[in-house]
Amino acid sequence: MTAKTAIGDMPTPAVEASNVRKAFGGVVALDGANFSAASGEVHALVGENGAGKSTLIKIIGGRLHADAGEVRIAGRKVVLSGPDAAHRLGAWTVFQELTLLTWMTVAENLFLGHEIRNSLGLIARGKLFSKAEQVLADVGIFHIDPRALVEDISLAERQLIEIVRAITQNPQILLLDEPTSSLVERETVWLFEQIRRLCKNGTSVVFTSHRWNEIRTIADRITVFRNGKDVGTFTELGEEEAVTLMTGTRVDVFFPPLPQAPQSQPALSVRELSGPRIKSVSFDLYKGEVLGMGGLAGHGHREVFFSLFGAEPHSAERIEMSGKPVRIRNPRGAVRQRIALVPEDRKTEGLLLPLSVRNNLTLTILRQLSRFGLVRVGEERRLAQTLVERLKIRARDLFVAVGALSGGNQQKVLLGRWLLAASDVLLLYDVTRGVDVATKHEIYELVLGLAREGHGILFYSSDAEELAHLCHRVLVMREGRIAAVLSQPGITAEQIVAAAMREHATV
Amino acid sequence: MPQYKAMEHTALAQPFRRSAAAHALGQNIGLILVCILLIASILAYCGIYYAAQERLPGGFEITSTVNNTMPLVLAALAQTVVVLTRGLDLSVGGMMDLSNAIAAVTLSASLGSMVFWSVAILALGALLGLLNGVLVAIGRLQPILVTLATLSIFQGLAIRVLPQPGGAVPEAYTAALVSTKAPYALLYVIAFGVLWSAFRRTRLGVSILAVGNDAQAARAHGIDLIRTRIAAYTLSGMLAAAAGLFLAANATAGDATTGNGYTLSSIVAVVLGGVSLFGGRGSAIGAMLGAFVSSMIVNILFFSHIDPLYQAFYEGLFLVLAVVLAEAVGRLVRKAS
Amino acid sequence: MTNKLHRRVLLRASGLALASASFAATPFAHSRAANKKKFKIALSNSYIGNKWRIEMENLFKAALLMEPYKSEVIGSWFNSGNDVSKQSQQMSNLIAERVDAIVLNAASPTALDGIIKQASDRGILVVSFDNVVTAPSALKVNTDQFEFGKTLAEFLAKKMGGKGNVIMVTGVAGTHVDLERNRGADSVWQQHPGIKVVSRYTGMWDSATAERNTASVLPSLPQIDGIWCQGGTDGVIKAFIAANRPIPPVAGEAENGFRKFMIGYMGHKVDGISIGQPPFLSLVALELARRVLSGTYPKKDITIPFPYVTSETVKVGETVFPNLPDSFFADFTDAGEHAVLKICVDAA
Ligand SMILES: Nc1ncnc2c1ncn2[C@@H]1O[C@H](COP(=O)(O)OP(=O)(O)OP(=O)(O)O)[C@@H](O)[C@H]1O
Ligand SMILES: [Mg+2]
Repeated sequence: MTAKTAIGDMPTPAVEASNVRKAFGGVVALDGANFSAASGEVHALVGENGAGKSTLIKIIGGRLHADAGEVRIAGRKVVLSGPDAAHRLGAWTVFQELTLLTWMTVAENLFLGHEIRNSLGLIARGKLFSKAEQVLADVGIFHIDPRALVEDISLAERQLIEIVRAITQNPQILLLDEPTSSLVERETVWLFEQIRRLCKNGTSVVFTSHRWNEIRTIADRITVFRNGKDVGTFTELGEEEAVTLMTGTRVDVFFPPLPQAPQSQPALSVRELSGPRIKSVSFDLYKGEVLGMGGLAGHGHREVFFSLFGAEPHSAERIEMSGKPVRIRNPRGAVRQRIALVPEDRKTEGLLLPLSVRNNLTLTILRQLSRFGLVRVGEERRLAQTLVERLKIRARDLFVAVGALSGGNQQKVLLGRWLLAASDVLLLYDVTRGVDVATKHEIYELVLGLAREGHGILFYSSDAEELAHLCHRVLVMREGRIAAVLSQPGITAEQIVAAAMREHATV
Repeated sequence: MPQYKAMEHTALAQPFRRSAAAHALGQNIGLILVCILLIASILAYCGIYYAAQERLPGGFEITSTVNNTMPLVLAALAQTVVVLTRGLDLSVGGMMDLSNAIAAVTLSASLGSMVFWSVAILALGALLGLLNGVLVAIGRLQPILVTLATLSIFQGLAIRVLPQPGGAVPEAYTAALVSTKAPYALLYVIAFGVLWSAFRRTRLGVSILAVGNDAQAARAHGIDLIRTRIAAYTLSGMLAAAAGLFLAANATAGDATTGNGYTLSSIVAVVLGGVSLFGGRGSAIGAMLGAFVSSMIVNILFFSHIDPLYQAFYEGLFLVLAVVLAEAVGRLVRKAS
Repeated sequence: MTNKLHRRVLLRASGLALASASFAATPFAHSRAANKKKFKIALSNSYIGNKWRIEMENLFKAALLMEPYKSEVIGSWFNSGNDVSKQSQQMSNLIAERVDAIVLNAASPTALDGIIKQASDRGILVVSFDNVVTAPSALKVNTDQFEFGKTLAEFLAKKMGGKGNVIMVTGVAGTHVDLERNRGADSVWQQHPGIKVVSRYTGMWDSATAERNTASVLPSLPQIDGIWCQGGTDGVIKAFIAANRPIPPVAGEAENGFRKFMIGYMGHKVDGISIGQPPFLSLVALELARRVLSGTYPKKDITIPFPYVTSETVKVGETVFPNLPDSFFADFTDAGEHAVLKICVDAA
C-alpha cells in the first residue's frame, strides 16, 4: 500500500476545498474537510453513506453554501451564489439525486439555461430537437428520443441525459456524484470512455461510487471521507484498507456464502406473463430462493417487477402464490397477497420525503400496529428503532424527515419498510444502488437471512458481480424475454453479461 | 473505440421511435382536450339554441358571449402564470376590483387620459403583483396565505377608491376593448395566444415552467427561483389589472366588488384549460379556451331551461365531468402511446 | 282583484317548501303558441342564497300562475349568484330570446350597465328592483334606503333622548344599499350632537357574522345606549346577552329572530324598531313591467315606503313567528292589507 498524502510538486489544483464545515441543524455533514483535485485527473471520493461526499460536491457545485472554510477554483477563492455561478467558472455537476425536469422533453432539458435562439431572441424549438439529436449522437447515444418527456424515460436514461448535459459543456471541473448507481455495465463503460476523453483535454473529474471495481478502474487518486472529514488521499488503495478507513473498523467485504439449496415448493409461479415490454415470461421462484434477474437496462426487468406488484398493465396465463392462483390488479392487492416491492427510484416511487424515518418505516404495517384504529406509538417506535440499528441507518433520530438523509440511508429506509412488512415474496429491484460497501454487506446478509427463513426473493441488480455471488439462479432477460437461465455453482459476472449480449453477436 | 461500437448496438436494440406528431399529441393532450371540449360545448350550445329559438346564434350572441368572457380570459391568463410556478393567486379578484374601480373613477373621454390611465393601472397591477411575489419568494410564505391577505387588501383599497358603484367608462373605451358591433375582442385572444407562444420561448417562460415542475431541480440548473417567482406574480398582477379594465369596459361603469368572483372562476378556467394545479404543465392558450368553455356552460344551461335553482348544481356537475373526463382521456392517450 | 291576488300569493308563498316544489316547472313550457300577444317577461335575479331572495322569487312565480299574468305574460326566472359576468351573460341570452321585459335584481348596480344599454337599444324594457341599477334606461322599483337608515336612527334618537352612545352595525361595504343606509343614519346623528357613535363595524347582513364581530368589539366598549343595525340584528342581541350586557333600544332589520326578542323571547324583552325590505318588490316590478308594456302606465320609477313594526305594534302570527327559525324574514305579511295594494292601486 502506497499512501501519499502530500501533494508537493503538483501545480495549482483545479479545485480545492479547505477546512469546509457544513451543518444541517444539529447534523454535522462536513467537519473541516479538505479536498483537492488536479486538472486532467479522475479523483474518486469514497466514504460510507452519510460521510459527506454529496455535501462537499454540492458546495463545490454551488448548490450549498459552506458554513466555514473556503473553496478555490483554479487557485482563486470563490463564493458561489448558485449553480449558474459554478457553471460560469467551468464547474458542472451531476448531482446524486437527479435534477431533470420531468415535464419537459429530453431536448429541453439538455439545453436548459443555454438554449439555442433564433433571430428574434426566442428559443428555436425546431432546431432544438435536431441539435439535441446531434449532441447525443456525438457522445454515442442513439437510443434516447430527444422528443420524449423525461417523465417517460427510464431512470438509467435520465442518468445518461444528466451526464450528457454536463459533459457537453466542456467543463473544467466535472463533478459526478454516484453517476453509475443506476447504470448497467455497458453504460458504465461508456461513461468511463467519456471521462477519459475529457481528462485527456485537461478536465478535472471528481467521481463518487460505492462500487470498488469502478473506483479501481477509473480513479487516479482516491480521497476517503469519514464522518465529514477527509482521512487520507491515495494513489493506490486496496478495497479492504479503504473500507477499514471508511468505517474505522475492519469489515468483511466479500460476499457471504450462499445458503443451502431452496425448498422444493414454489413461493411464486409465473406463467406467460406479458405486457407492453415483456413477452411470455415464465418462471418459478422457490421458497428460500434468491432468484437473480439480470441483463441490459430497458429489456423488461422493470416491467416484470412492476407487473408482479400490480403497478403495470399486464396479462398472465397464471400467477400462483404458494400454489394458489392469484390476480394482482394493483399494489394494494399485491401487498394483500404478501408481495413486496422495493423500487429503484426512492424519490418518486417509494419514500415520502417530508415524513419522518419512523413514519416511512412503518407505513405498510400501520394496520397491524393499530389497535381500535389507533397506532400503538410505543410499539411503532420500538420496531422502527430496531430496524434503524439493524440496517445502520444514519439519522439523527427517528423523527428526522427522510428527505434530509443521505442517498444511501434513504435507500436503507425503503428496504427496511418492506422488511417490516414480512412478505412471502420480496421483489428487490436494485436495492444496493447507492449503498456503501459495509452496508451492502449487511444487506446481503439480510437478503440471505430472509431466504433462510423461507421467503422467496426476486433480485434485480445492475451489478452483475452481485447477481453472480448472491443468487441461486439468475434469469437473464433480453428484449422482454428470458434469454438464459444460469444456475449455481459457478455463475460469473462475465457469464451474465455474455448472456445478455449474445444476441448482438448473431445480429 | 470498441465501447462506442457496443453502445451503438445497444441503441439498435431499441429502434422504435415515436413520430414527432405522436409526441406532440401526448405532450399537449391538455390543450387538445380543451379544444375538443370547447368545440363540443359550442355545438351543444348551437343545438340547444336552435331547438329553443328555431335559428342559429347570430352576431349579437357571439359578440356578447365573447365580450362577457374577456375579463375571465385575462383573469385566467393571470392565474395561469402563477399556477405554472406551482403557486396560486387568490388576489386576482381583488386586483380586478381595484383596477375596475380606478378605471371608473379616472377614465375620461380624451384619448390621452384613456391611454395614460390604462398604462398607469397596468403598472400599478404589476407593482402590487410584485408585492405578492416578494412575499412569496423572499418572505417564503405560502402563496395561498399571501394572496388571501392581499386579496382583502386590494378589495379594501378598491372600496376606498370607489365607495359606491358608479363612475363611468367612456364609450370609446368600451368600443376599443369590447366592441358591441362585432366580436373584435377575439383579436385580443389571438394576440395573447401569439404572445404566449413567444413567451414560452423566452428564458423567463421556460424558468416559470421549470420552477413549477421541480423547484430544486430548476435551481440546480441555475434558474433563479426568487427572480422567477417574483416575475410570475408581477406578470399575474398586471394581467389581473388588465382583466379589471375589460370588466370596466364591459360594464361601462365601475363597481368595486364585481371582480371578487373571478378568483374562483379563473382557477376553474385554468383547470378546464388543462393547466396542472401542481405546476409545471399547461398552456395559457388552454386556460383562455377554458374561460370560453365556462361561458358556454352558462349559455347551454340557460337555453336548456333547467330550473334556475338547480343551475349551480348542474354547472358544478358539468365542470367536474369535464375535468374528470379530460384527465381520464389524457391518461389513456399517454398510456396508449 | 289585486287584493285577491295578493292574498293568494301570500298563501302560496308562506307554504315555502310547497311553493318551490310546485313551481319548479319549465318556465316557457306552457302555451307558447296559444296567444302570440303575450308578453315575455323574465326575472333575472343574482343571489338566491337567503330566505328573502327565495320568498321574493316565489312571489314572482306564484303571480305568474294568477290573473292577469296568467293570460297576459309568459314568465321565466334565472339566478346567477353574485357573479356579474354570469348575470350579464344570462341577460344577453334573454336579449337573444327577444323577451319584452327583464325584471332585474342585479348583482351590481353598475356592472350590468353595458348589457342593459344593449337591451334598451333593442327595445327591451328593464325594470330593476331591490339592488337597483344606475343605468338611466332602466326603471327602478325600490324602497328608500336613505329613509331606512334615517328612520332607524330617528327612533333611537327619540328613545335615547338625544344623547348617549350608539354602535352601528353596517352591511356589505361597497354596495349602494349599505352606503345609503349609513348616510341616512349619519344625517340624524348630525342633528344630535349628544349622540356618540362609539363603534362602527360590519355585520355583513348576516346574523352569525354580526354576532361574532359584536362579541369581539364589545369588551372594549363603554355603556351602549342604542344599537343601530342594518342586518343580522338577532346576532347582535345574542352577543349582548352572552356578554351579560343590558340590551338598550335596538333599531334593526326584519329578522324573525330580532322580532322574537321584541316580544320577550328567552326572557329578554327588547325595545326596538324593525324594518324590512319587502320581498314583494318583485311583484311591483312585474306589475310595472306589464303596465308599461301594455301602455297603461308611464315609464316612471317607483319608490315604496317601508313597512315597519315597533315593540308596541309587533303581532304574533302576523309580523313575528315564534315557531319559525330566526333567519326567516318576517316582513312579507306587513304588505298585508295596505302596502302593496296601495302601491298597485297608486300605480294604476
Ligand atoms: N438537507 C439536509 N438536511 C439535513 N441533513 C442533511 C441534509 N443533507 C444531508 N444531510 C446530512 O448530512 C450528512 C451527509 O450527507 P451526504 O449526503 O453528504 O452523504 P454522502 O456521503 O453523500 O452519503 P451517500 O453515500 O449515502 O450519498 C448525512 O448525515 C445527512 O443526513
Ligand atoms: Mg451522496
